[in-house]
Amino acid sequence: MRKHTFWDLTTLFFRYTKLTLKTTLEYKFDRSLITVAIFFREMISVAVMFLILLRFLHIRGWEMQELMFLYSFLFLSYSLFVFLFAGVRDFDGMVHSGDFDRFLTRPLGLLYQIIAARVDYPATLGHGIVGLVLFFNTAFAVGIDWNWQNSLFYIMAILGGAVIQASIFMLSACFSFWSVRTENLRNLIFFNSRRVAGYPITFYPGIIQKVLIFVVPFGFVNYFPSQFFLHKADGEQFWSGFVYLTPAVGVVMFLLVSIFWKYGVKNYKSTGNAMY
Amino acid sequence: MRVYLEFAKKSFQNNIVYRMDYFAGVINALVMIFVNISIWKAIYEEEESLEGVQFKIVATYIVLSFLMQVVYTMDEYFIEGKVRSGLISSDLMKPINFRLYVFSYNVGTTIFRLLMQLMPALLVSIFLFKLLPPFSTEMFIFFMVSSVLGYLVLYNLNFIVWASSFWFYWTFSLVTIKDAAVMIFSGALIPLWFMPQWLIDFIKLTPFDSIFYTPIRIYLGQIPQEEIWTSMLRQVVWVVLLFGIGQLMWKAAAKKMVVQGG
Repeated sequence: MRKHTFWDLTTLFFRYTKLTLKTTLEYKFDRSLITVAIFFREMISVAVMFLILLRFLHIRGWEMQELMFLYSFLFLSYSLFVFLFAGVRDFDGMVHSGDFDRFLTRPLGLLYQIIAARVDYPATLGHGIVGLVLFFNTAFAVGIDWNWQNSLFYIMAILGGAVIQASIFMLSACFSFWSVRTENLRNLIFFNSRRVAGYPITFYPGIIQKVLIFVVPFGFVNYFPSQFFLHKADGEQFWSGFVYLTPAVGVVMFLLVSIFWKYGVKNYKSTGNAMY
Repeated sequence: MRVYLEFAKKSFQNNIVYRMDYFAGVINALVMIFVNISIWKAIYEEEESLEGVQFKIVATYIVLSFLMQVVYTMDEYFIEGKVRSGLISSDLMKPINFRLYVFSYNVGTTIFRLLMQLMPALLVSIFLFKLLPPFSTEMFIFFMVSSVLGYLVLYNLNFIVWASSFWFYWTFSLVTIKDAAVMIFSGALIPLWFMPQWLIDFIKLTPFDSIFYTPIRIYLGQIPQEEIWTSMLRQVVWVVLLFGIGQLMWKAAAKKMVVQGG
């Protein structure tokens, strides 16, 4: 088998993107409406934060702009994650329907196919627009000098955050190889942690902070990278190195999960039913 | 009547099967309560009361609201599923009132949530989140009545959205947008008294505050005795009004079915 060059993979990726775009645009009206709906659903918590801060101006020294900036990390990194890893998110279904078996017969990397073959545009846009609205309303008001180092740090933080979330989803996807369904449990853990992470983790008791740093590390998705920019006083109780760690946490988690994933693929026996 | 009781029982039993959903419902509610209490605790910091409202009142408001949300969660895609699968035509041929059938199905689910989800969540809330007892026994009875009315307001509002599935193939978007409106305007997530005046004035013109805000305020004893009847009358008016709109839509939908040939 010929090794694929990076260039091959990139052109192929764009072909896949064209396909997924076409599938999405087949139902233009419906998909746009879903995007709008997701936007509104995600705006609920933003609106609540806005209304609270409108009345009380600040919470423990955090002002509205800063809290919203903190929140923007969650949405932008989730948007990027769902753009790239919708296939990992829906992996349970892929195995169940036999779609995954088709991937196995093709001369291409598995993860590559899973990433390229499925994109959830409504979720990407719905979350992404909320993230952008928050970002552009706050990023230039909280005293950040957007020089190239800071911009690079920001991009790395968003990328790292996306990979952290992808790793959590991939860990749960791994169980599908032994047809253990973890989708519900995963959603329960993931979305509740995300809910908690919407506000600074210092608002919560110590045990919850530990969970968000060491177990479901949402602290590295938004709290620590935003502390790099904001330097709020409540961050001093944590080790100062944490603010730089987001990309590293992402890479380490992803590598660990990849080992489990490879082991899973090796042990995978098809469910035997293909829908196509 | 017996047949509708039977439907309610069926839907109750259906819920028992999905153990994970049941479990998730309780956990989600408790996490939401925990997050919101933590935020309000941070807002209050050392203060006993802000703008004349004590922390324990806000905490009770938040706990009650999320417990009520557990009970008020309905199966939003029941009618859509019937329409899409075509089962609706056979349902319409049966000698039953379809609207009553949908209602009894939802009541069955609600009773399931009351017994199986509310009870554990309530116990945890009393111990962990220090839920205050009702203002008085009398107010508690009014609260119960008002909650039922709030449920009916929400149910009839929901029905209007559900009935739209005769015109739209998928109702996910409409349901989600409706949910967002209910969550913000009904005071389910933040007490209305903390909202800006212009927003309160707007909400007073809508049915939303009848759903959560009115019953909770009665529980907290914030509505004087002589005003309770007018508050509940407002709820009744909204139930009737929304039911009427739902009925018109239902008639139009049934007509459309006939045109389609079912």
